[in-house]
Amino acid sequence: MNNNKSADVVVIGAGVNGSLLATRLAKAGKTVLLLESGPKVGRDQLVERFRASAFKSDFMSPYPFSPLAPQPRYTPEPNDYLQQAGPHPFAAQYIRMFGGTSWHWAAQLWRFVPNDFRQHSQYGVGKDWPIGYDDLEEYYYQAEVIAGVGGSPDNGSPRSKPYPMDRVPASWLQQRITSRLAPDFTVLDDSTGRNSRSFDGRPACCGNNNCMPVCPIDAQYHGGIAAQQAENSGVQVVTEAVVYQLEHDAQGRITAANYYDWNKVSHRVTAETFVLAANAIETPKLLLMSASDKFLQGIANTRDNVGRNLCDHPAISVTFDVDEEIWPGRGPVSPCSIGQFRDGDFRREHSPFRIDISNASQVAAVTKEVLAEGYFGKKLQDEIRFRAARRLSIKNALEQLPDPNNRVTLSSNKDALGLPTPSLYWDINDYVVKGTAKTQACYDAIAARLGATNIRHSKTGKFSNRQHITGTLSMGLDPATSVTDQWGRAHDHQNLFMVGTGVMPTVGTCNVTLTAMALALRTADKILQETQHG
Amino acid sequence: MVKYWPLFIAGALLAASVHAQSPDQSELIRRGEYLAIAGDCGACHTEEGKAPFSGGHAIVSPLGTIFSTNITPSKQAGIGNYSEAQFAAALRKGLRGDGSRLYPAMPYTAYARLTDDDVSALYAYFMHGVQPVDVIPQQTALPFPFSLRFSMAAWNLLFADDKVYQPDATQSEAWNRGAYLVQGLTHCSTCHTPRNFLMAEQQGKYLQGASLGTWYAPDITATALQQNPHWTRQMLADYLATGHAANGATAGGPMLEAVDKSFSRMTPEDRQAIATYLLPADSAATDPVAVKDLTPVSGDDLPQTLENLSEGERLYRDNCASCHNLSGQGLNGLPALKNHPVLNKPVADNVAMAILQGVWPEKGQGMIGFSGSLNDNQIAAVTNYVMQDMGHSKVQISAERVKALRAGGDASPLMLLSRIGMGTAVVVLVLLLFWLRKKRALKS
Repeated sequence: MNNNKSADVVVIGAGVNGSLLATRLAKAGKTVLLLESGPKVGRDQLVERFRASAFKSDFMSPYPFSPLAPQPRYTPEPNDYLQQAGPHPFAAQYIRMFGGTSWHWAAQLWRFVPNDFRQHSQYGVGKDWPIGYDDLEEYYYQAEVIAGVGGSPDNGSPRSKPYPMDRVPASWLQQRITSRLAPDFTVLDDSTGRNSRSFDGRPACCGNNNCMPVCPIDAQYHGGIAAQQAENSGVQVVTEAVVYQLEHDAQGRITAANYYDWNKVSHRVTAETFVLAANAIETPKLLLMSASDKFLQGIANTRDNVGRNLCDHPAISVTFDVDEEIWPGRGPVSPCSIGQFRDGDFRREHSPFRIDISNASQVAAVTKEVLAEGYFGKKLQDEIRFRAARRLSIKNALEQLPDPNNRVTLSSNKDALGLPTPSLYWDINDYVVKGTAKTQACYDAIAARLGATNIRHSKTGKFSNRQHITGTLSMGLDPATSVTDQWGRAHDHQNLFMVGTGVMPTVGTCNVTLTAMALALRTADKILQETQHG
Repeated sequence: MVKYWPLFIAGALLAASVHAQSPDQSELIRRGEYLAIAGDCGACHTEEGKAPFSGGHAIVSPLGTIFSTNITPSKQAGIGNYSEAQFAAALRKGLRGDGSRLYPAMPYTAYARLTDDDVSALYAYFMHGVQPVDVIPQQTALPFPFSLRFSMAAWNLLFADDKVYQPDATQSEAWNRGAYLVQGLTHCSTCHTPRNFLMAEQQGKYLQGASLGTWYAPDITATALQQNPHWTRQMLADYLATGHAANGATAGGPMLEAVDKSFSRMTPEDRQAIATYLLPADSAATDPVAVKDLTPVSGDDLPQTLENLSEGERLYRDNCASCHNLSGQGLNGLPALKNHPVLNKPVADNVAMAILQGVWPEKGQGMIGFSGSLNDNQIAAVTNYVMQDMGHSKVQISAERVKALRAGGDASPLMLLSRIGMGTAVVVLVLLLFWLRKKRALKS
């Protein structure tokens, strides 16, 4: 044990949520220590790694991998960091690095719709949240101001103040699809943290169409920006610090966190308050790894809820060639979507969903396809141009209900530091299957309206992950069915808080980051309120 | 009714004088507003986020920080008590209403060229077109000897030329208008003319380029503008209107601010007049470097190739090529660096400053700054790569210079110099006065 540190608050995980919370606490005068398992890597190095990568379509490929803080990888072959124990593989992706997973994303920053918070009382399915939309509205706005969010105003999520950022101008694809699908389908601007003007020392989007895997000019908000702001606000950030155990006293208060640096030297840090912000799979892993004589099933887990209710948006997709040139690949990769199936009485029967329309360049995918069909020479070039100009790719964000059987546990495998790797069990129920059928009917209607040819649906019965991982640290009023209370505090430990998407009891029909950011800011205020007046 | 006529008329007159301005007066105010834009008064006297002209903007000079004053018509905090004569004296002679001296951070040496008519218009605008703000901004406190504001009187005697602009009958109307603006309101020489050790503009080097400590204001004499890269009047006018020109120039730093706040809001005729004065002999435009409609990023990005890149080129690829393209040819309307005029300057400071701070036009695409992500060595390396490999310049920058730029410019030897210099000047002045008096005494 050496270099032991202490602080008012120790935050574990330098992703967007941990960083936002740490920044707020530091600005209020707290000493904050932020521990991050991965390294700090600059945007320029990520751009270089992306350019040099042979796997351009694998958005993880620019992000450095270390066996000391491993993360799931799938190219060229899956690295089996995640053990798949269920009927459906849960192909999670996350980045263990300064800034976390939102380094690669399309900056989708959506609010839930109000009924998402009262799903059970409204529709008799799923769960109610311990808080309502109105409790979070102000925090939604604060997070939107930090990230510079713009979008369509009337998207089902009421606002007390207008979006702080104007929308990025619609691409040609968006204009054509919006106009061709009206009035049956209403295509709206996505709600995104993407600059349409210079803001916060970052320029406007200039259409690199490179949001994933990395925006080369920081026109979009991401966790790396949040983590840097934390550091600039006086938060002490320690990277390559892999927390492997939480310690507690006889009363159950958390007293210390132990971490390995990348030389496997152990360090112990102490604090008044601990905040776990290490992703919806890695945080449960840490809690389960911290089992002790007093807490045999792990920290925060006396009722065996940690890691359960694992949710994502189980997605199906379709691609086809539109009967006119729509030119995907100019502007942001994910600019617009169809939101009219996000809420309604049908939620009693089947999943609600949102339909995401991709504007990502299709040249690579089309080229691969055309080469496989045997084209060469000028015909190859013509065919690439023809299809790349017309190809539309669509997928859904469909709500899965929380199910305690879907869960994160510890596998019997160990990583290079000797720490267990996660095991995941994931199944899909009938509610999802019915919602998927409704989605597919929409896909067919959209394809028909666009005069589509070359229609390819994703494989029936297979679902891809959207990486909107929720439920594993669910907040709730009843400790029997939840891990944390409405502030993200562990029911079992007075001074242990959790932030990140894991505390969200349900996954809704939109990307989950903004809700987690709003909750993290709310938790930060709660910590400040308690420690300044208590 | 009739017997009240005189009262009625008196009342109407009073009402008119209080509540309404005559058409002439409002036209005067409007003209004054335009002149205040041309003079870019707001650049220094309006702090971002504060009320217009309420002052408090910090101007970092080599001698210390000067805070701009409140020039709203507030009687307590601004210039509300100034008569037009006092206003004119401040504008043209650097003499405040209370009789004390202004520092030449206020470009009164240039505003001295203003005609009486224009001073009247400005006065009308500042008295009636600006909302009074009763807040006194932070006061300037320069170190000795500059704390002695009266020392400026000697400075003015030595360096200030307070003659109103005299049109040159041999030149066109446009040329004269341009000369009036450039020498006066738009005070181009404030930045573009180098200063001597007492901070006075060196008239022998008028508009020949000067360092502002960080950014470099280039030579804008006709001789320089006609050299490579070549400027035409139209390019100059476009540049003043938009911050970029067909020869590839793009404005950054204080010039971009001047474009955004002042030049772009002037009339096209005035911008043309400025161009006419700066380029008395216009030359034909050479075709700008043709930009194809598609400029694909291409190149060898095999790991072994990347390993062999110089540090500057690698940094360029990682940080710059997404917008400026692999060989600096620009991309989708984003600026090309090849043939960019900034690479043709006697110093590389502006390239390094743009990299450090970014470029932030009010409208249109900004460029991110790299001060937080690249160190001094890295910024020097990428600057030298751009200057030399793209610009074929022999000019280099050192990491030490980048460090100085990052810190806001060189720690200036000016303080010491001017303490000596100021002393010398005072001695010279005293001797001069003594000699003049003696001469006069001899005459009489």
